[in-house]
Amino acid sequence: MVILKTRALAITKFFFFSKLSFLVIVILLSTSSCGKKDENKNGKEVTIVFWHSFVSSTVPALNELIGKFEKEHPTIRIKAQYIPTGDALVQKLITAIQSKNAPDISWIHSDFMEDLVRADAIYKMSYFTDGNNGINKEELEDIYPSLRQYASWKGTLYSLPMEATNLALLYNKEMFRKAGLDPNHPPKTWAELEDYAQKLTLDTNGDGKYEQTGLYLPIYPAAGPLSSWMVWQWMPYLWQAGGDIIDDAQTHVLYDSPSGIEALSLWQRIYNRLHLSTFTSDYDVAFASKHLAMAMDGPWDLPRYNDILKNLDWAFAPLPAGPQKQATIVGGEYLAIFKQSSHPNEAWEFVKWMIKPETQAFWAIRSGYLPIRHAVLNVPEFQQYLTKNPNFKVFVDQMDFGLAQKPIDYGGLQIQRHIAEAIEKSTVGREDVKKALEESANKSNKLLQSQKRK
Amino acid sequence: MEMNITQDKKVNQNRKSKKDLLSALLFLSPTLVIFTTFILFPVLFSFYLSFQSWNMFSTQSTFIGLENYSRMFSSDEFWMVLKNTLIYTLGTIPLNMALSLIIAYVLNKKLKGKKFLRTAFFAPVVISPVAAAVIWRWLYDPNFGLLNYFIGLFGIKAINWLNDPTAAMFALIIMGVWKTLGVNMVLFSAGLQGIPESYYEAAQLDGAGRWAKFWHITIPMLSPTTFFIMIMSMIGSFQVFDIVYVLTSGGPLGSTKVLVFYIYEHAFKFFEMGYASAVSYFLFAILFIFTMLQVKYMRSKVLG
Repeated sequence: MVILKTRALAITKFFFFSKLSFLVIVILLSTSSCGKKDENKNGKEVTIVFWHSFVSSTVPALNELIGKFEKEHPTIRIKAQYIPTGDALVQKLITAIQSKNAPDISWIHSDFMEDLVRADAIYKMSYFTDGNNGINKEELEDIYPSLRQYASWKGTLYSLPMEATNLALLYNKEMFRKAGLDPNHPPKTWAELEDYAQKLTLDTNGDGKYEQTGLYLPIYPAAGPLSSWMVWQWMPYLWQAGGDIIDDAQTHVLYDSPSGIEALSLWQRIYNRLHLSTFTSDYDVAFASKHLAMAMDGPWDLPRYNDILKNLDWAFAPLPAGPQKQATIVGGEYLAIFKQSSHPNEAWEFVKWMIKPETQAFWAIRSGYLPIRHAVLNVPEFQQYLTKNPNFKVFVDQMDFGLAQKPIDYGGLQIQRHIAEAIEKSTVGREDVKKALEESANKSNKLLQSQKRK
Repeated sequence: MEMNITQDKKVNQNRKSKKDLLSALLFLSPTLVIFTTFILFPVLFSFYLSFQSWNMFSTQSTFIGLENYSRMFSSDEFWMVLKNTLIYTLGTIPLNMALSLIIAYVLNKKLKGKKFLRTAFFAPVVISPVAAAVIWRWLYDPNFGLLNYFIGLFGIKAINWLNDPTAAMFALIIMGVWKTLGVNMVLFSAGLQGIPESYYEAAQLDGAGRWAKFWHITIPMLSPTTFFIMIMSMIGSFQVFDIVYVLTSGGPLGSTKVLVFYIYEHAFKFFEMGYASAVSYFLFAILFIFTMLQVKYMRSKVLG
């Protein structure tokens, strides 16, 4: 009796799901056929499909940008398609390539560039830059070297940056004043950073909980998928201490060097002294509600902060310099042209137009992202914008000493995971920094050697 | 003559059963097409892939024999993940079954607000796991979380639920039980309603108390349901993924990384489809063996 009942339940469940999947198929079939029709509507006009994952607040600026391009190029239409997250973008690209439905242009990351190149899915940029409608070498070299390096795989350029970002130090001036610190003198060295962070961590009512935390470090559970956000924020410290991830020949990793130990020890000390294990992961909420004094953050949040932090006295400052040098991490979004595109030249026209100084100035002002090349600094409109927006200028100035994560030819994601493990172990897990880094580096080296054998 | 008639009958029967088969297939075809494309083909294809190395981007994969399997068994992370999955399973199933039986038993009595309570207990099942995880993240917050506030009332020190390697698994188990309790409660309720009232009346006449009735009538009569729930719960908790993905992403220090999350990570983060398929088949083998053992051991006891 009971078994029968449950069986009936299971059957209805099964039917419900099969109906659902049938509906999904119908929808998929109908949308895919729509896409085909659109493209052949007009013999003259060419439609370029462009996949991206811009946050929704950037979409109005993107539409404005595309409108400008289409006005200047009446025969080319850009069809921008939004894919919710970077993860979904990769998965969609995989299916699209397999079913010969790849977009003309898409955002890509160096994380999976290796796979795209090995699958012969994207063009080398030299195919276009050296062609009739190309750009000269000086212009190409005007793009920040860190961005060019990140856009390449094994030294060959496979994509071009659309915009840049980097990390700076967000701080609350009011809290500086209250702690007896000069609000116009944000920390300039590691020693100052540690000292200020300690002075800004306060238990005002003496209940053992900290009402105010000096500095936020993105250690789990805020680390994000694959802990990439955590590793991304740690990288500047590694460089500031004079270290790097991997040697030039890519035979072994270097992050367990004395510089790596120095950088991770700093994080461990801050994590323990500031009791960050009990700190919330919503650092922006904590900052806005006056529970946090300092955090590292990017320019993409500036438009939002200008809005939500109206009642706060805050500013951005360059990241403090380490024992060896000043450094920040540079990121960005990169455009690649797919070999399955039937209009690669028109796709290139868009990419070429996108990196022009005038376009870059237009895009930076509207989107809040940073320009990708030096020449933009000479555009009058952009110069005016910088004087009006000192916080934005901090990020633009930092581009001069910004470094990009060196693209790792094989197994880059796993190596990133190993670094994340070392950071977690020495902070959350309270392990010895040297031991944690060595264990991780051993794993990475083993991986590099096994890849080499293939 | 007689021979001929029986032969004719046979031919007729054959023809009829062929016709039946044809119409049956016709009626079943929508389901069969969907089943073949979305279940049967992926299942067989991933078995093939488990002997291949394939990054999904390229159109070709390479045969590497048993390398995926040998890599799996020699990986420390794999064994840790397997251990985590077992802890989660052993943590959720007894708790889940005991609680859902108690709730179903209480709600089976004549009670005011019974319907409301049943809906309330079933609600977590239909809430989207992402929304649920947001709620639980706030409950688990070390500083402002409701859970730490409550245990603080009893003088227990604040627990760093999601950031402590031992506490995180507990946090996951609690949310897992909360999320799946409703289904089992409904199944137990159905089972309880299937027990004839006359048994209880007879026991009453023999002078059995409330506890004796529960122990000697309810529990044995429910055993087919219990058996079914146990198998389904085991399969369910071995395959737990969504709440791990949204609540802890497998951290901290990999303490909540379970098998399916590990498979997902290798398939869709590292693009090692072959390796992910091999681990999937290992998971299938475990579930198959456990279910078979349970069926073999329990069937004689339960269904006699």
